[in-house]
Amino acid sequence: MSNPSIDVAGAQPAKRKLLSAYDDPGTHEEITRRTFMANATLTISGIIGVGLAIPIIGSLLPKGGEGAGTWSPMTADEWRKLQAATEKPVKLSFALKSKDAYLPEEAVAQFVWGIKSSVEKMRKARPDLFAAAGKSTLPYDVVNLGFVIFSPICPHLGCRYDWNDSSNRFLCPCHGSQYSFEGAHLAGPAPRGLDPLPLREQSGVAEVTWIRYEQSTPDRIVISYTS
Amino acid sequence: MLTWLEQRTGFVSMTKGFLTEDIPGGASYWYVFGSATLFAMILQIVTGIFLTFWYAPSASTAWESTKAMYDNGFQHFVLSVHYWGASAMIALVFLHMLQALVWGAYKSPRELQWIVGVLLFIVTLVLGLTGYLLPWDMNAYFASQVAINISGTAPILGPFIQRFLQDGPVMGTLTINRFFGVHVWLMPAALVALVGAHLAIFRHNGPAGPPVEDPRPRRPGRFWPDQMFMDTAISFFVFLVILFLSAVLPPFLDQKADPTNVTFVPYPAWYFLALFGLLNIMPPSLELFGTIIIPTVVVIILLALPWLDRSTLRTFGSRAPILLATTTIVVAVVALSVFSQVSIQAKQGAAAQNPAPPPPPVGPVAGTSVSTAGGANAGQKVFAANCSSCHGAAGAGVPGAFPPLAGNPFVTGDKSKVINVLINGLHGKIQIKGSTYNGQMPAWKGTLTNSDIANVITYIRSAWGNKASAVTTADVAKQAK
Repeated sequence: MSNPSIDVAGAQPAKRKLLSAYDDPGTHEEITRRTFMANATLTISGIIGVGLAIPIIGSLLPKGGEGAGTWSPMTADEWRKLQAATEKPVKLSFALKSKDAYLPEEAVAQFVWGIKSSVEKMRKARPDLFAAAGKSTLPYDVVNLGFVIFSPICPHLGCRYDWNDSSNRFLCPCHGSQYSFEGAHLAGPAPRGLDPLPLREQSGVAEVTWIRYEQSTPDRIVISYTS
Repeated sequence: MLTWLEQRTGFVSMTKGFLTEDIPGGASYWYVFGSATLFAMILQIVTGIFLTFWYAPSASTAWESTKAMYDNGFQHFVLSVHYWGASAMIALVFLHMLQALVWGAYKSPRELQWIVGVLLFIVTLVLGLTGYLLPWDMNAYFASQVAINISGTAPILGPFIQRFLQDGPVMGTLTINRFFGVHVWLMPAALVALVGAHLAIFRHNGPAGPPVEDPRPRRPGRFWPDQMFMDTAISFFVFLVILFLSAVLPPFLDQKADPTNVTFVPYPAWYFLALFGLLNIMPPSLELFGTIIIPTVVVIILLALPWLDRSTLRTFGSRAPILLATTTIVVAVVALSVFSQVSIQAKQGAAAQNPAPPPPPVGPVAGTSVSTAGGANAGQKVFAANCSSCHGAAGAGVPGAFPPLAGNPFVTGDKSKVINVLINGLHGKIQIKGSTYNGQMPAWKGTLTNSDIANVITYIRSAWGNKASAVTTADVAKQAK
């Protein structure tokens, strides 16, 4: 196709040897066609990007589900330790039966805190756990078999707190949250008191189960609970 | 905004400089093979990155994590795109290379670009080979075992290479980890570096153009937007084909690797069928020729080609010997591939006489396998895509979790009951061959068409030694109301 406008470049002798396709603006149709091609190229690239992004983002959405763990037995020794408890909390080790994604179910070493208490004492120390009618605000009883079990996870940002004998309170090493014997929040950044866990007896064996609550919220929002 | 960016980074003028490039002789659809290959590579890198979010390389998690991907619709789709993207990339590399051979584009001054291209071809094949092992199902295990052992037969270094690839005396977690590292880091890094060199040399020399002697001066064309538009259009076509295949023919996951299985017939990816055929036609005494010597010689010839064929003439008439040799090799490769595919299917058919898996063939060159009724053939595809992940490609199920279909009297019994289970699903305790199952069979009505359901029932009633009557679409339609 002969192109009259090529003479435009020809008018500049210095450029003649280095004549590039870009020195020639082209006919009106060519310019229109190039605009179309540029737009089409960008549009198609966008379509490819979106076409890839949809399945990829969809595939990355996190899964819900049970997670955490199920009812797991406490050994007879640990159970005796709890029964012998008086005015000090008892640290109870147990193997939590848990399922992690597609891996086979396994027992993971965990611990909980247990205290000897009663509904009356807990209602007085922990009004946050009881509704006006005296019912537990949790999906299970706070006091079971005469004991309260506390999740070892600090409600602030999830560290493991410890019992401090000299100050007679629970202390979290990470950010200094402090809790009473009954788990009431005394000091530090935590927004709420300690979280109780369910306890039950099944044919003579004490069992605990694991509940995850949202961290750092004033209210207890259940993330996972297998009853 | 762009001015602000330009003043601080120079990115705008850099991009302009990159796009403002003359195409001698004008833009052409003949030049799209390289860019389409590049597109397939980018697609592989993007999907591959996300596959590592879910894949866990170890003998106890490789298959399990892959299975978890198959159970998630989106993840399965991304995996399918990666699977078909691999085939597309290798097919495009073949075409790109073939074009360079036929056009004589490897000649001076493009010798180094050709050599880098040959290295890219090898890297791509290594990526295909190492990716093949990762799902750790039956075929992944046995096909990779064969590949590793072939490397062991190489003279002098063979046994060392074999141990090196396996990272130990037997295949296991360390092998998976090693293949994983090669597949997701080493080879992709080499690929990106080599592609960078390939493109840099290309920009230096420009395209070779068609092999014609044209005395007229060629009017140059523009890279942006003329050539870029053609590249993008063809890449988009490749993308659509890959998406279509991923949706219609997703890969399937066989049972987990079971080293004790003695009837499994492994099959290579379609792009290794020619090598597989070469191995098969060699008498045992000459096996080394098929596995090591001939492939090595081919690679050496390819690397040395710019010096073996020094003439600068590129027209077809002046290059008869090279074109003849190229044609011969292509015909031989295709013939060997077809021969291999046929022989694998024959073996699988023989193995199917015993209760062993007849896995569906893989890749575009593969035809259909295991000839039974037409409905059963179509049903096998439905089965591979929807049922085999639980019931196993061989219909053997998973003891305690998913009931077997092979030799299951319910499957070969009253067909209206089987149709009912496919349409409405099944849950609750059932007894099959002395084992109790308490799972969830999904209801397929709405997901599969009536003819899919009829075909897949016909298939499971006639495969793996089952011998029961076929089911028609009308049978299903009657019960699906």
